[in-house]
Amino acid sequence: MSDPAADIVVIGSGPAGVSAALPLVEAGRRVVMIDGGRNRDASAGSPWHRMLGAHLEALRPDDGLSPKLRTPEARRLLGAFHGREPIEAEDFLAIGALGRGGLSRIWGAFVCELQDDDLQGWPLTAYDLRQSYDAVVARIGVSGSHDDDMAAFYGYSDALQMPPPLGPTAAAIFKRYSAARPDPEFALGRARNALITENRWQRQSCDLRLGCLWGCERGAIYDARQDIALLRQYANFELRDVTARRLVRADGGWDVITTRGDRLHAPRLVVAAGTLGSLRLVAPLLGPALELRVLNSPVMAVPLLVPGRLGGKLPDAGHSLAQLGFRLACSTKPGDYVSGAIYEVAGLPPSSFAARMPLGRRAATEIFHALAPALAIATVYFPGRYSANTVTLRPSAQADQAPDIEVRGAVAPEFDEVARTARERLARIWRRLGARPLPGAAFATAGTDAHLGGLFPMGLAAPHGTNNYGELHAAPGLHLVDGSALPTIPSKFTTLTIMANADRIGRYLAELA
Amino acid sequence: MPQRLVVTGASGYIGARLVERARQRGCEVAVLGSAPPGSDVTAVPWRLGEAPRLTAFLGASAVLHLAHDWASDRLHGTAPENANLTGTQILADAARGAGLSRFVFASTTSARPEALNAYGQIKYAIEERLRVLPWSEGRIVCARIGLVYGGPERAQYALMSKLATLPALPMIGLDREVQPIHLDEVCDGLLALMLHPPLGRHAVVIAGTRPVTFGAWLRTLRRARHGRRMLLVPVPIRLALAGCDLSKRLPFVPTVERERVLGLAGAAPMPSADDVAALGLSLRDPMRALRQSRPARRRLIAESAALLRYVAGRRVRSPGAIIRLARAMRRDPASARALPWAATRWPALLRFVEPIRPAVQHGLARRLHLAAMVAETLPAQRRWRATWCLRVTVQVALEAVALPFRFVLRALTA
Repeated sequence: MSDPAADIVVIGSGPAGVSAALPLVEAGRRVVMIDGGRNRDASAGSPWHRMLGAHLEALRPDDGLSPKLRTPEARRLLGAFHGREPIEAEDFLAIGALGRGGLSRIWGAFVCELQDDDLQGWPLTAYDLRQSYDAVVARIGVSGSHDDDMAAFYGYSDALQMPPPLGPTAAAIFKRYSAARPDPEFALGRARNALITENRWQRQSCDLRLGCLWGCERGAIYDARQDIALLRQYANFELRDVTARRLVRADGGWDVITTRGDRLHAPRLVVAAGTLGSLRLVAPLLGPALELRVLNSPVMAVPLLVPGRLGGKLPDAGHSLAQLGFRLACSTKPGDYVSGAIYEVAGLPPSSFAARMPLGRRAATEIFHALAPALAIATVYFPGRYSANTVTLRPSAQADQAPDIEVRGAVAPEFDEVARTARERLARIWRRLGARPLPGAAFATAGTDAHLGGLFPMGLAAPHGTNNYGELHAAPGLHLVDGSALPTIPSKFTTLTIMANADRIGRYLAELA
Repeated sequence: MPQRLVVTGASGYIGARLVERARQRGCEVAVLGSAPPGSDVTAVPWRLGEAPRLTAFLGASAVLHLAHDWASDRLHGTAPENANLTGTQILADAARGAGLSRFVFASTTSARPEALNAYGQIKYAIEERLRVLPWSEGRIVCARIGLVYGGPERAQYALMSKLATLPALPMIGLDREVQPIHLDEVCDGLLALMLHPPLGRHAVVIAGTRPVTFGAWLRTLRRARHGRRMLLVPVPIRLALAGCDLSKRLPFVPTVERERVLGLAGAAPMPSADDVAALGLSLRDPMRALRQSRPARRRLIAESAALLRYVAGRRVRSPGAIIRLARAMRRDPASARALPWAATRWPALLRFVEPIRPAVQHGLARRLHLAAMVAETLPAQRRWRATWCLRVTVQVALEAVALPFRFVLRALTA
């Protein structure tokens, strides 16, 4: 009944899963990776096909906040995750992906490293992650700049490719910034994206066609499925199309019971199902009732109008990933800052904006089109310590079932003040950079950011804590390598760090006998 | 070898659809009497009351008797001369004589001895007559069919459809419970009775498992097909019958049969869940099924075109886009209510009725959001860059004009 075909079973084929699997496979370990599903790619076809889905699965009202979450691809991935034992959520958007490649299929592709200041409260230093950062950056392909004010903040990786040209609105803001720094505590620079501008193995460079949101046919944006293609070159790697349902300790190792009812046995497990996906799998091992915290980055979106660009031309070439990145120190304390990114609106769907304008549909659409050449969107991320979300595990009503999971979104009491201050300071800075913040700035529901973590923190001594290698104290031999093991969530984008951390843990496991 | 079925009343509301579905399933059908129009099934000349030629039953395994002689009801009422009574027995005997193993008689949920209308009493009398036949057991089954809806607007569904077009209706029997069932489900149930092993019951109920009051049913019809509400005014039965009599004498007024009125006034539900399950039917939600009916579709298409025109600011000529929006609206329960008639005709008026808060939860705001999503899949519109300022001014001015109307509307609907 047991299947001893692997040294390690990796649950999840997202960025964390593939990053942990690669060092293992390269070291000759037999790895079985399981993931939630088939690969339905919808990026081909006519515009409506790509934007609404072949079965109009994306033609449903959304809250209009994050265009990223309304695409057919996103609805399929997130819908599949929700379809299985839904997580109860209040004031919280429980985002998880079930499908090959995980959330990297719809991510924003912003990558940056954490510095020692960001790693306070971690049992690691930047040095411990150095080798892994370099390996991951070299593998996934990152474009950006080494010579602007944000370069040190985002990290000095050797393998950077040339950044794509800036969009005209972002260029106007950047020009003003370069001419006169508006605030010593504010820095602005080129965004760093996992977007390639030079061809590489099986991937073509960005052709600036603006369709990023609806899926990149050329593979210019990194997506974990590209690494799966790489993994599949190895004979000691196997990918199975099954979803893990339950984890059971057996014969000095672990059995993964799949939704089909079969068992996979391995001495060690790597759980990389995404923070909430991993929570679902690990929750039954933690006892019947428990209260945990889950961190997220509270995020605010601010529309900016650059009057100098009014009446200009909306670019017909470019990309819709982040154009610029910025940082604003909140105090002199190390690591106390907010950061974010500036996007242009070309290539983004007008309806998502029109839905939030305090006008009728027709007027909102028409005015959006008129202003679009001069519009930019700034997203501002706050550190995860300002989130106060709780996760409650309750014994299920049915015997022998996984506990019910309830996530309740909240922010820390001091957050309103912090957010207000940051917003006012940024508003002054935007004005000095020739951009007017428009009314309609809004905080996203907690969880929309998908920057989750802190559930099973590395270095925490409690049973739900993990050791330096993500191994859960309550379940030896089970390593959490995704966002759930991050002890803190900084204001920075965390995907690259999750990948580097998974790579680091993968290397460690490869060396174990 | 395909099974061969003999059907009477095949040109009727149920018969025509049944023949079509039976043939889709690979059955051969022979029709006694008139064939469905436009169909190429074998039709054997026959009239109710005659014994059909034995060749009609050649190779057949089951008979479905749907035909009903309304003229005979009017002429003879429940008297033994009624052709429905005698004719059904003659047909059943002939089928038995030809060696057929199954005889399915189409009855009604109003079949009971105390039924108010002659139809219910006659159907009951026929059921009883068939039951006492010596060979009846396991071979004869009476299908008690509920209130049938869907498909082409014929028979009583035509009447219901006509009633559903009215904004207000004085009506009798509003609190009586009816058991609506879709035409396709009835056909599948009847086919199951003919093709599958017997259920061991003389009468099987093929009717909606959740009875609804007649008033609620009329409202459902109107809401699903026209997206509007209906005002129902209860009318005493005597007054209604007097109205029926009057309608016969008045010229230019459609005649309303006493029979129909009495049928409604005497309706009472029969438990059907067990039978429906035993026949392997899973009944659709009538609201959903009705929203696929032709008038409902036509209305949605018109509304879809109007919404797109409003949002895009130009006539959208892509049929694909219009249909896609209509599909999305059909599956979205929040958009069941129709647009105001005038707004469908002149989409620019939507500006005056649009909800003030652009929350996408509200019915109309939701539909406008869907329309905007569809509109942005269309090729980009050429806009003069130089006039951006003018365009914004015009839009702001129009908004300012429309806003008071929207406030008033909000106050009225709150």
